Amino acid sequence: MAGKNGLEGKDSGLFVREATGLVREWSIFDAFVYAFFSVNLITLGLYIFSFAPYIPDGHLVTAIIVSTIFIVFLVIVYAMLISILPRAGGDYVLQTRILGGALSYVLPFTGWVFILWLWVPLYGNMLSWNVFTPLFTLLAGMTGNQGLLGVAFWFNGVHGLFVSALLVCVLASIVISLGMKGYARVQKFCFYLGMAGLLTVFILLLANDNATFVERFNAFSAGIGAGGNVYTDIIASSSEAGYDPIAWNNLALLASLPLIPMVVFFNLWPNWGATLYGEVRGASEFRRNFLGMFLGLVVTAVLAVILLALIARTIGWDFYLASNFAFYEGFSGFPVFPFPGLLAAMLTDNPILQLWVIVSLSGWFFGWMGTVFLSSTRVLFAASFDRMLPEWVSNLNPKTRSPYNALMLMTIPAIAVSFLFYYVPGFDVLTLNATVVIAICFLGTAVAAIVLPYRKPDLYNASPVARYKVLGLPAITICGIILAGFLLFNIVLWFMDPVYGVHDPYSAVFMLVLYSLAFVIYFTYLSRNKKLGIDVKKTFDEIPVE
Amino acid sequence: MTKIFFATDIHGSEKCWKKFINAGMFYGASTLVLGGDMTGKAIVPIIKEKAGLHRAYFLEQEHELKTGQDLEHLTQAVRDRGYYPVHLDIEEMGALEKDKSKQEELFKKETLETVGNWIEWAEERLKKTRIPCYVCPGNDDTFEIDELINQSEYIELVEGKVVQLPLDYQMISTGWSNPTPWNTYRECSEEELESKIRESIDKLDQVKPAVFSIHPPPYGLGLDEAPELDENLRPKYAGRALIPVGSTAVRKLIEEYQPRLALFGHIHEAKGMIRCKNTLCINPGSNYEQGVLMGALINLEKDRVGEYQLTTG
Repeated sequence: MAGKNGLEGKDSGLFVREATGLVREWSIFDAFVYAFFSVNLITLGLYIFSFAPYIPDGHLVTAIIVSTIFIVFLVIVYAMLISILPRAGGDYVLQTRILGGALSYVLPFTGWVFILWLWVPLYGNMLSWNVFTPLFTLLAGMTGNQGLLGVAFWFNGVHGLFVSALLVCVLASIVISLGMKGYARVQKFCFYLGMAGLLTVFILLLANDNATFVERFNAFSAGIGAGGNVYTDIIASSSEAGYDPIAWNNLALLASLPLIPMVVFFNLWPNWGATLYGEVRGASEFRRNFLGMFLGLVVTAVLAVILLALIARTIGWDFYLASNFAFYEGFSGFPVFPFPGLLAAMLTDNPILQLWVIVSLSGWFFGWMGTVFLSSTRVLFAASFDRMLPEWVSNLNPKTRSPYNALMLMTIPAIAVSFLFYYVPGFDVLTLNATVVIAICFLGTAVAAIVLPYRKPDLYNASPVARYKVLGLPAITICGIILAGFLLFNIVLWFMDPVYGVHDPYSAVFMLVLYSLAFVIYFTYLSRNKKLGIDVKKTFDEIPVE
Repeated sequence: MTKIFFATDIHGSEKCWKKFINAGMFYGASTLVLGGDMTGKAIVPIIKEKAGLHRAYFLEQEHELKTGQDLEHLTQAVRDRGYYPVHLDIEEMGALEKDKSKQEELFKKETLETVGNWIEWAEERLKKTRIPCYVCPGNDDTFEIDELINQSEYIELVEGKVVQLPLDYQMISTGWSNPTPWNTYRECSEEELESKIRESIDKLDQVKPAVFSIHPPPYGLGLDEAPELDENLRPKYAGRALIPVGSTAVRKLIEEYQPRLALFGHIHEAKGMIRCKNTLCINPGSNYEQGVLMGALINLEKDRVGEYQLTTG
């Protein structure tokens, strides 16, 4: 029954007996897939890259590389924290257990619950612009059917975008209700589908030159009612509007730094599902967690640079940037979002291959969108178990096991925020608030990591990461300081420069409402629990051993 | 009102055991209940290489122990994490590696010695505090543990028994579980489990309120979600595909009898609470390796289960 290394398959130095919960190590590849989809190149990446013209002197490639280097420290910090406090369930538990106090509740609650309401219309945009609009535009181009073009335009307009956001709510709720077992399978299928789609795009871009693209793009545009040399017109009209795209070969290190607060919209999330654990393990658990997230981040960065290089080579760098600028400024000759998947699909005459490009790239969306409420429901449950939210929040349907109340708490406000986002002029500039609020939450966790070895020395010293030191200091403290510095750099720029949409009256009111709401809930439940004789502080206090 | 403190699945962690015994005074609880699985899962050999030099491989790191203080620190760290530190010389280690029966014997010896020491330590405290302490071994615990607990004056073994709690509450307990992939000591079929629990239920006074302390959680109420495993016991999809692994028999009996309170363990990662008909069901989860005692503090009132909180001690 007992046997050395029985479950690890390598020298763990232990005699392990068969006991409940002792499992073999999980696959790094599976962890990679989750992290890889969290920093999603095709959805989040291409969406935020399209705003790059608003920092005209910055180069996307530089911003991606520099931000990736700093986000590696986020990966290290979270991998270490998971190793110290496995099964913690994310920032809420990490901060309440390590830091305590009102902020440790407010920051994760705002960052993982309230702000996800704003992510829903953003997911809606991506569903519409990455899937519906290109699909119907392509079908219209193939068939010349004006009705299909009308559908594409409808999805490009506010009603279509709002409906897309509603679909996101429905699909995400179904995923959570059905459970992660089924969704994990869907996600893996979508990974292979999406990668096959990206490979097809790479091949199409490699196999054709810029002259071919210009010819095909103009021909396709004519087919959907946009006549003339649309390609050249877009570049020219952008130039007339005062936009001068940065050259592809000008990597402009310093000028690209202000682009980082935009780029992190896409790559700040390799830790999104960082809740893995194992029993009777040690340092390998840290290494596996680290590798899963690290590879997800770095492989995505490499693919992003390759994709942008191929876009520059075949589609044309000036045109790529100018077409996005013209789209947002409302004077583009091309009537829908210039999704690079759609542009790549134009490089072939084969309608099946064209459809394959759009359908396969949709795997990037469907493999990723289910997680929009997943972390939120976990935080709601954790707060409910801590008696810091009503008990009914964590109710499950006894038959379907669906967390219906937690889902209602996410979907109803998300629909309201989506309505504001699409129908109230000026509200759509809040896109980056979705990143800011989570980054502020991560800052709280970075502080927790910095102080952990000093605030909870027993917990830290009993962990397998206690041996990692830098200049005699705990590595988690050093990495936490670097991460905090990086997050502060972004936060300062977001709040100082109006280009990000955060330095804006709507943004100020929106954030004030979110943070105030979190504080009100915290103090309401603190006071309620006090009246009922529940000492919330005792929930997290360590029981003396002697 | 009376306050009970429940914890479970401490799996050999000396730190968690001590915290459990001290939890009564710390939280002001009048009753302590331990839900099972006291036994550790691993032995850490500490090998004496020569005079003044020991070597151990712990948390996948090699530790060179040159002083008595080093040795003492590591030994305690191993115990606190829930493993058994065993001092061996190189020859003994070699012999142990080759002989599975010796390993089994050693596990049994360490388990019983540890539980014996724990009971001794606890009795000194419980003698002073006079807080009743009920323990029910779980599916990972050998049967010899029961004999040790039975000898204790201050800790009561409650497997299969009806225990009278304050305010006329009565508690039944079992550490038996539905089958697991690990073929542990106290596993049985769902039918057998139902029959065992029914035997206890039949002994209850039907008029008085009841508490069920049952090691495996009920199937499908969210307190039993564990990573889906493949045939090699490897978590599928990096542990993100969660499936219910609780007992259908337990769910059936909870729904049928509807005790006021039901306390569970077994699935460490499924911390939570849920109402099932008239029953408040709680699984406080377990973080024994980190020396963190997860628990549940529950106020029992005459007419209802009052306030409760899940603790991270």
